[in-house]
Amino acid sequence: MAENHDPLHESGSRDFPDETIRRFLFGRLSASEQPAFEQRLFADDSLNARVRLAELELADDYAYGRLDNAERELFEEKFLVSADRRRKVKVSRVLRDRFASAPVETKTALVERLRALPGFTRPAWRFAFGVVIFILLIGTVWVVVKKEPRIKEEITKRWVRRRSPAPTSPVESNHPTNRSMPEHQTSPSPMPVHDQTSPISTAGVSVSLTPATSPDSSNMPSVNLPKGEPEVVRLQLALKPDQPGPYRVELLTGDGQSVFSTEAIKAADNGSAQIDFDVPARLLKTGNYQIRLGQDNGGVKEIVGSYYFRVQ
Amino acid sequence: MSPAKTLHIIKQEDFDRLLAWLDPDPERAGLTYEKIRWRLVAILASRGCTCPEELADETIDRVARRVIDIQASYVGDQAIYFLGVMNNVHHEYLKRPMMPRLPEPDDNAETKEKTYFCLEKCLDKLSANSRRMIEQYYAENKRAKIDLRKRIAAELGIGLSTLRLRALRIRDKLQTCIEQCLEMEAF
Repeated sequence: MAENHDPLHESGSRDFPDETIRRFLFGRLSASEQPAFEQRLFADDSLNARVRLAELELADDYAYGRLDNAERELFEEKFLVSADRRRKVKVSRVLRDRFASAPVETKTALVERLRALPGFTRPAWRFAFGVVIFILLIGTVWVVVKKEPRIKEEITKRWVRRRSPAPTSPVESNHPTNRSMPEHQTSPSPMPVHDQTSPISTAGVSVSLTPATSPDSSNMPSVNLPKGEPEVVRLQLALKPDQPGPYRVELLTGDGQSVFSTEAIKAADNGSAQIDFDVPARLLKTGNYQIRLGQDNGGVKEIVGSYYFRVQ
Repeated sequence: MSPAKTLHIIKQEDFDRLLAWLDPDPERAGLTYEKIRWRLVAILASRGCTCPEELADETIDRVARRVIDIQASYVGDQAIYFLGVMNNVHHEYLKRPMMPRLPEPDDNAETKEKTYFCLEKCLDKLSANSRRMIEQYYAENKRAKIDLRKRIAAELGIGLSTLRLRALRIRDKLQTCIEQCLEMEAF
């Protein structure tokens, strides 16, 4: 596909600013503006080209969640009325799913919101904010260490589960090699019975998955959730050789809705060319699922593998 | 006008005559036809029609049936003639009882998978520079849009509006490529 230049900028279609084009697409031109715009659209190829590009941009903005509530309603009611436009939104969504990186959004949004607070940049506010954070930090540590061994154990358990490569045999799973935090293995805490499980046994269910290019319903691995409702389902994702990661792993429903994701997962250290992706079992319902394995390649997010399974 | 009366099937000879009237060259005539139809749909949608494609086709149908009478005497841009006929069709549409719009069914997993497949295929057809631009341009998050675009524009040594146009033109080509790919996949 060649990309040619066309002189949109030199055109007289600039009589209509981008904002006017957007209002045309939302059906919000005034009674006097509408006929003039329509006449021009029919007579002016460059305005035609700009409106086409504005349609694409609007579809992208919708798919990326950049429209406010009022615009979103207008979009769905006034814009999304033709098959051609619905196809544009469909492509916008796959572009979003293919390239956008959601976690960064949250961090950026938080920082921007904090900066937008009135007076946040003043030294007195900064100091007060720092003191509040410090007190909260001290309080949290005190609660965790002194008052709630159960919380401590839970945090430790989660830390171990996330950071350490998954044991591959029952022996390893009952005798973890991570010596820095042995407490929860050697001294059981007075937690309720249903919580007294080691990290791997909370996984309860594990299934090995290999990459696939498309969901093959006849040959799709299935997971049977036992009645006891395990806390975590461990999905062991086979990797291609020499792909140490780190990876971003995302779980999606069969119709593409994101359910759960984890960042910075690395391959197991034992050379088994797989990574373990623990998913809270409560998130899984009966149906088909897809896992997307992504990697940051020099600042560009790439999907390096897809896996499919079914929950029964 | 009842909705049933608007449903005509355009005769092949009328359609051929319409294309010949639009342009003697069949290829250019086809492009002009597509362009006119797209404009009709855009305008009808902007006027609040819930079925702009149906009304655009009704407009084209009427023009096609009239070409035999007007082609010898009509002077000026043929596209403008469509606009006049479309106004009549729209006027009649406004007199119809309003029909509620049915929700569009969501794509199933298979269709989505095909769309992803076609996206990859079409990305591979882009030049290295275009692909890189699209990857960067669409890597943005809704909050980081401006910062990221400023960074990309600065890297490329171009202004923000030029970046937007370039990216959207590539996006337009991707759209066309993906739609063609999906049509091929359907067979």
